[in-house]
Amino acid sequence: MAGAAGRKGTITHRTSVRASRPARARVHSGEEETARLSRLAVDLSRHYAGKLEVVPQVPIRGLSDFSYLYTPGVAQVSREIAKDPDLSFELTGRWNTIGIVTDGSRVLGLGNIGPRAALPVMEGKALLFKYLGGVNAYPLPIQVNSGEELVETVRHLEPAVGGINLEDIASPKCFEVLETLQKSLTIPVWHDDQLGTAAATVAGLLNALELTGRTVKDARMVILGAGAANVATARLIRALKADMGALTVLDHKGILHSNREDMDEMMLHNRWKYDLALSTNEAGRKGGLDVALEGADVLIAASTPDPNTVKPEWVESMAPHPVVFALANPVPEIWPQVAHKAGAAIVATGRSDFPNQLNNSLVFPPVFRGILDARAKGMPDEVVLVAAKELAKGASLRGLTPDHIVPTMEEEAVFPKMAAAVAVKAEELGLARVKRTRAEYEEHAVQMMARPRRLAEVLMKSGLIAPVKVDPRKERG
Amino acid sequence: MASNGEKKGPSAITIRTARKGDLDQLAALLVRLKRLNAEFDPLLNVRDDADAQAKKILSANLDDPSFVILAAEGSGGPAGTVVGIVRASVRERNFYMPIQEGVILDIYLMPAFRRHGSGTYLLAETTRHLKAKGAEIVTAEFPSQNDIAVKFYGRHGFRAVTSHHAREV
Repeated sequence: MAGAAGRKGTITHRTSVRASRPARARVHSGEEETARLSRLAVDLSRHYAGKLEVVPQVPIRGLSDFSYLYTPGVAQVSREIAKDPDLSFELTGRWNTIGIVTDGSRVLGLGNIGPRAALPVMEGKALLFKYLGGVNAYPLPIQVNSGEELVETVRHLEPAVGGINLEDIASPKCFEVLETLQKSLTIPVWHDDQLGTAAATVAGLLNALELTGRTVKDARMVILGAGAANVATARLIRALKADMGALTVLDHKGILHSNREDMDEMMLHNRWKYDLALSTNEAGRKGGLDVALEGADVLIAASTPDPNTVKPEWVESMAPHPVVFALANPVPEIWPQVAHKAGAAIVATGRSDFPNQLNNSLVFPPVFRGILDARAKGMPDEVVLVAAKELAKGASLRGLTPDHIVPTMEEEAVFPKMAAAVAVKAEELGLARVKRTRAEYEEHAVQMMARPRRLAEVLMKSGLIAPVKVDPRKERG
Repeated sequence: MASNGEKKGPSAITIRTARKGDLDQLAALLVRLKRLNAEFDPLLNVRDDADAQAKKILSANLDDPSFVILAAEGSGGPAGTVVGIVRASVRERNFYMPIQEGVILDIYLMPAFRRHGSGTYLLAETTRHLKAKGAEIVTAEFPSQNDIAVKFYGRHGFRAVTSHHAREV
């Protein structure tokens, strides 16, 4: 996200930490930078009291215009929609509106801080949706006591929106919520912590495999961490027709296997992890990451933010030229330079200050742009995979190298193509409410993605958005 | 033993009468079942000496002609590796008819061998053995909150007849 916000050079730590610095210096500098950004965020929040406001997209010359923008004229629009509910996607802003829904049960690295404290995060996310994807996203942190209540609440919201982005919901509740809503709603439902991260990871994986002369079918992969992102990554890997028996998944207790003592507990409380324990690890490996990594081709870690989680000697024990994704934030499971020294051919992290940032911001804006433009009725994994593949393809526009397996946020030409690929796939699957060509979708995406920046520029130039009182570029304290 | 549960068919297991030599494996499976039961109700929390209890009880049951103790083995797996257990007995109902009741006390299958008809096969074999010992009806005991068991037995024609309620005193 830092990369996204950094486009305009306003709030960024991109340039402050150099990739070549030693790990200790980097951590120290990272902590200082985090402290600075925290102060800045509080100052700005106090100054602006909210990041979003509703801006008209129709001309208003005076109050008389409301006789058709509102009553009595608007009644006829309502009658039309009452006759054909799908017209709500044509005659209102529903087609470009989503809800960002959270119960605040797992917000960033903060844990279960509740819906009110989640609001600033959801506001920021809504701003990203607008700025990067041209999507009107409403932050909707809701007070609920269970996954069932969450599902029920989102069901009630369906008429108002063209899509739902679930955010910062604890695992394994998030799996049940996403699955139930995807089945029961006729709009796309996405959980960014699962699907956004998984799609970016799979995009990086596809290119890393290609660069190291492997395929999804023959690579022996290890997944460290069985939370929201990795469970979704495993699901996408399965959808790529990988040999699941050759995959090894680890949670905090070690390698998942079908004889583990906690299998029944998993069956009752986390059937997604239970299914992984049953369908992976055909060799019946037992133990920790050291056992899992021996001879493995790929490690995908999304676990503990501690650079000692993956030891260099374990990377050395992997197959020649292995692929190491250390995606924990803010600190990866192994520092890239350490992984490289241990033999890793390709390393990716979740950070913008290293090469190969596997970042969900590469995914959710174009995915929603495309799926909303198709007025789609759903968001199956086939659509997510298409987005991942298009993102992978996008990296080769600038040349595929071990340090460039996914595009950066600055490689903007990729995103309208991703949006178009998503929309076309939705059409192919019979989920679209409209019919357009790929070129039309792409052109529309280009316009929709450019508009918010123009809007922000105009609003700032005219003074309607007041100048920043606290200069974010100015070092403080 | 293959761990990929997706590839198994209805013949994923073979079932036979349990032997004394199975005792340790049967006891481990029985304790797994009791720990699963504990997930449904704190009044089913497992005793610290559950392992020893399981061995003691199974050892006695194996010698008792009114008991049916079955062992399931994984097809194609190493011979003698027990992956499932049934513990059932035939008893007389004092006041009701039919008189001879076959009670399924414990039934457990390792996760990799569930689904794909294995449970149905296990239940059918248990019923056959209980009938051979004179049972006229078959009943099953399990935690009230175990919806998976309620659905499983329901699919096989079972219905709730009596309830077993508890409170701490």
